[in-house]
Amino acid sequence: MTSLTGDTDVFSSAAGTGGNPRASVMFTACRQDDMAGIYTEAHRQAILRVLAELAEEGWTLALRRVFDPAADNMPMGIDTGFTHEHDIAGVFEAPSLDAALVGTVRLERAGWARAFRTEWLMGVKEFAPVTGEGAITDHGWVFLALWEWNDQWCEAAPAVRTEYDFECDIAFKGDLAHKVNIAGRHRMDWSHRWHHLGAWEIGHPDVADSAIRGHEDVADFKFTTSRHIVGRLTPLADLIAPRHL
Amino acid sequence: MSNSIWIHYSRPRPHWYLLSDAEKAVLEDSWNGVRDKAKAAGGSTQGRFHIRGQHDFQEVEIWTFPQTTDAFAHWSNLVAARYNEFYAFSNNIGLGLEA
Repeated sequence: MTSLTGDTDVFSSAAGTGGNPRASVMFTACRQDDMAGIYTEAHRQAILRVLAELAEEGWTLALRRVFDPAADNMPMGIDTGFTHEHDIAGVFEAPSLDAALVGTVRLERAGWARAFRTEWLMGVKEFAPVTGEGAITDHGWVFLALWEWNDQWCEAAPAVRTEYDFECDIAFKGDLAHKVNIAGRHRMDWSHRWHHLGAWEIGHPDVADSAIRGHEDVADFKFTTSRHIVGRLTPLADLIAPRHL
Repeated sequence: MSNSIWIHYSRPRPHWYLLSDAEKAVLEDSWNGVRDKAKAAGGSTQGRFHIRGQHDFQEVEIWTFPQTTDAFAHWSNLVAARYNEFYAFSNNIGLGLEA
């Protein structure tokens, strides 16, 4: 059992393989190939080869596949430059924590480190995916939420925290009514200052804003500090194309 | 043989200062027990170091573990002993580079 809090109406513990939960890998990355020669098409091809190997080794490289195991596993990222300091972001799932760490090193060495300054976050999946109302089909956008419980949450009695979880459930039910697909909850605290990641498929950037207003209505943020990222779902092969040929 | 390093930054949360010395001692004994358990399982550390003079956090601990999952287990045990409720933290994991 790795969950920090209990199941709610919306969330239930994620089933792992042989008792081992799936690992999660999230990244935000800023381009740094400012001059020709730093990062080339050969590096891009090397990165794509590593991604193909990771897929063979059981990684999930497309968020869609978290909801539909039959979906294509073509590596996907999100284009975030229009509203964030980083240019791209993304979420993968790996078979284990060690595989997650080693995988990021393999990508960096294949050429990723030349193209991007990257923040990698790794953790384990605590809660299972939840599908929004009528939201079976693919979405064009992704919303990522990192959060940490603040000092007030830590000071609160267990009963108060449980009450808070169920208040937040009202907002999460509102998210599902917005046709949001929630890819579970991922625990990141063992190796990062952020405690959790939530990754959503959304239909439009405005959905993120409407959904977060719902979370504000139930005072979600009285107990958390969070960082929210919105981006357009885009093939990673396109997002990592060299700037200079 | 250690393949991973785990860096832990920490700082007491405000309500830590409201506890009595006896309450603090019970919790600290429990957390030291978790640290002893990690060492018995192959973890190693050079101790706790004060860094408040030049950092947002107050202390840093640097550990090596045989596996990254041992670091995860150690942190899970600290959380189970309510460490995260009384200390703000930031953790990092690193893999040893091949020569």
